Amino acid sequence: MGTFKIGKVVMNSLFKKPATLMYPVVPREWKDRTRGHIDISEPDCILCGMCSKKCPTNAITVDRTSSTWTIERMQCVQCGSCVESCPKKCLTMAPDYTTPDVEKTVDTFEIPKKEAAGGSGTAQGGELKNNIEECIYCGLCAKNCPSDALKVDRKEKVWEVDRDACVTCGVCVEKCPKKCLKIE
Amino acid sequence: MSEKKYKIQDIRNIAPVDLLSQVRDIKDDGYRFVQLCGTKKEEGYEILYSFDKEHVLLNLRLIISDEDEVESITKEYWPAFIYENEVHDLFDITFKHNALDYGGNFFKTAEPYPWK
Amino acid sequence: MGKRTIIPFGPQHPVLPEPVHLDLVIEDETVLEAIPSIGFIHRGLEKLVEKKEYTEMVYVIERICGICSFGHGWGYCAAVEGAMNIEVPDRAEYLRTIWHELGRIHSHLLWLGLLADGFGFESLFMHCWRVRETILDLFEETTGGRVIFSVCKPGGIRKDIDADTLSRMVKTLKDLKKDIKELTDVFLNDTSVKNRLCGVGVLSKADAEELCAVGPVARGSGVVQDIRLAGEGKYDDIGFEPIIETGGDSYSRCKVRIREVFQSIDLIERAAEMIPEGEISVPVKGNITGEFITRMEQPRGEAVYYAKGFDGDKASRHLERMRVRTPTNMNIPAMVKTLQGCDLADVPMLVLTIDPCISCTER
Repeated sequence: MGTFKIGKVVMNSLFKKPATLMYPVVPREWKDRTRGHIDISEPDCILCGMCSKKCPTNAITVDRTSSTWTIERMQCVQCGSCVESCPKKCLTMAPDYTTPDVEKTVDTFEIPKKEAAGGSGTAQGGELKNNIEECIYCGLCAKNCPSDALKVDRKEKVWEVDRDACVTCGVCVEKCPKKCLKIE
Repeated sequence: MSEKKYKIQDIRNIAPVDLLSQVRDIKDDGYRFVQLCGTKKEEGYEILYSFDKEHVLLNLRLIISDEDEVESITKEYWPAFIYENEVHDLFDITFKHNALDYGGNFFKTAEPYPWK
Repeated sequence: MGKRTIIPFGPQHPVLPEPVHLDLVIEDETVLEAIPSIGFIHRGLEKLVEKKEYTEMVYVIERICGICSFGHGWGYCAAVEGAMNIEVPDRAEYLRTIWHELGRIHSHLLWLGLLADGFGFESLFMHCWRVRETILDLFEETTGGRVIFSVCKPGGIRKDIDADTLSRMVKTLKDLKKDIKELTDVFLNDTSVKNRLCGVGVLSKADAEELCAVGPVARGSGVVQDIRLAGEGKYDDIGFEPIIETGGDSYSRCKVRIREVFQSIDLIERAAEMIPEGEISVPVKGNITGEFITRMEQPRGEAVYYAKGFDGDKASRHLERMRVRTPTNMNIPAMVKTLQGCDLADVPMLVLTIDPCISCTER
């Protein structure tokens, strides 16, 4: 006779503590990898705009003239594409969710201006230049370019940059073993 | 392990007049109907039929112009009425002799034929 | 002769997870015919290929459904990788298989809860969903999200699972087996539950083949059909046999799903032992041309993914057409057939036994 088969489960749950959490009185513990919201570390940002290009929902706006980085919190789907594509690794995925609100929040961050150090990491203008006699055509710059703007051929001794695609982020300048690349 | 079955891509182009006789042969062979997909090209439409037997797919491709009418395969495979009504409601392609025709009311959309 | 009336069922109904409309023609509490109509949740997601590039489209396709989310992401990536002829590394395939089987466990537990709610057994519903929370915690620990994972991309996967987390995951699942066994014991052996399930909604083997049913609906009627045998993923290396029952009624379909939960836990354990070291993705660059059609075994049945890029000089980073055909779409004729001749009180149960996921059907 199979009646009240759930008796054992019900009896056990009478004597255990509840499975639910008294949220919001008891705060929730987040796991490390939870995709909550995007944080930016302002001193490292070079306003290259790669995050804005890769964002699938157009939630990020990068304004070079007024030096601000804006994100619409409700448009962001927390996919993490911007975190992966940032050349300076200044974006991180924090584990807590955006708090619910009655209107759509837009967060704007001021990016401090940097002096042109004549070497790496300025995106305030200027062009990528190569000292072609020093270049050994190893191709490290092209492999690391986040916008695929460089073309290097070791056999033909060809080094080309696509000016429209280059965002002067400076990753190639850092990776070059002969230090023959400059942005000025 | 030999060639994996899911990688086999068997797509055959056929003319609209041959559709019914080919489908009858396929049904006699014991194939199961899988799906019907409509694509809008620059001129006209393309319809892809898929059939399956023992986990291998067989596809038939039909290319029609804007005004063509296509024969319905609901006499051989009754479940095809769902896909034919959906394609009719989205793309405005007419299927003749449909066994269960909703007359444009299967998919309730705000404007008729939105993907035309 | 009784009088015939037409009763509308849905789109708002307490037992339905998603809105579907049925017009039931009844005569004295027996259903003679059921006429379905859908379209309440059509979002036109496939048309977004015109706006989003193929690397961004994966985030749209994942969000077609919240329950079978990983399967859609994997199917889309598999179709794009097939069209561009990309080989994915072995470690990525093993991890995708593990996540897919976790998705199957959580989907079946969700369905068991909804079935219990459908015949009024609310405490069983709550216990099933309490067990499901452990699976969702595992997902959050490894991928970052409980429902939408964003972990598949064309070319591989984005996050790795290290060996410690993997062994902890397998241990948690093995400990969970005892809890799941207690609950499924109620479904299979309790007299009051069996009265609602046995002999209700019988679909014979000939009908299942004629109506082209897929998934547990077909496997519960004796048709041997499981797309995991066709080769996508690492099921051949792990070793896998489909689960078949021959009853054809709701009880058999319930039993198929329960046995699949236990089989998935075993598959994950074997995959975690056999997983090799290595890369988790390959870089993917350039435009997409060509077309590819592939299939996945979702928890609800067979899903077809078709991706087509533009040909020749019009090749660009946009796809021309992306088509997802989901299993519920194919099971609606089978549902209509089982509804003919049943009692009015059994209609919610029969709608639930095909496991309807209407947001997948209409995208």
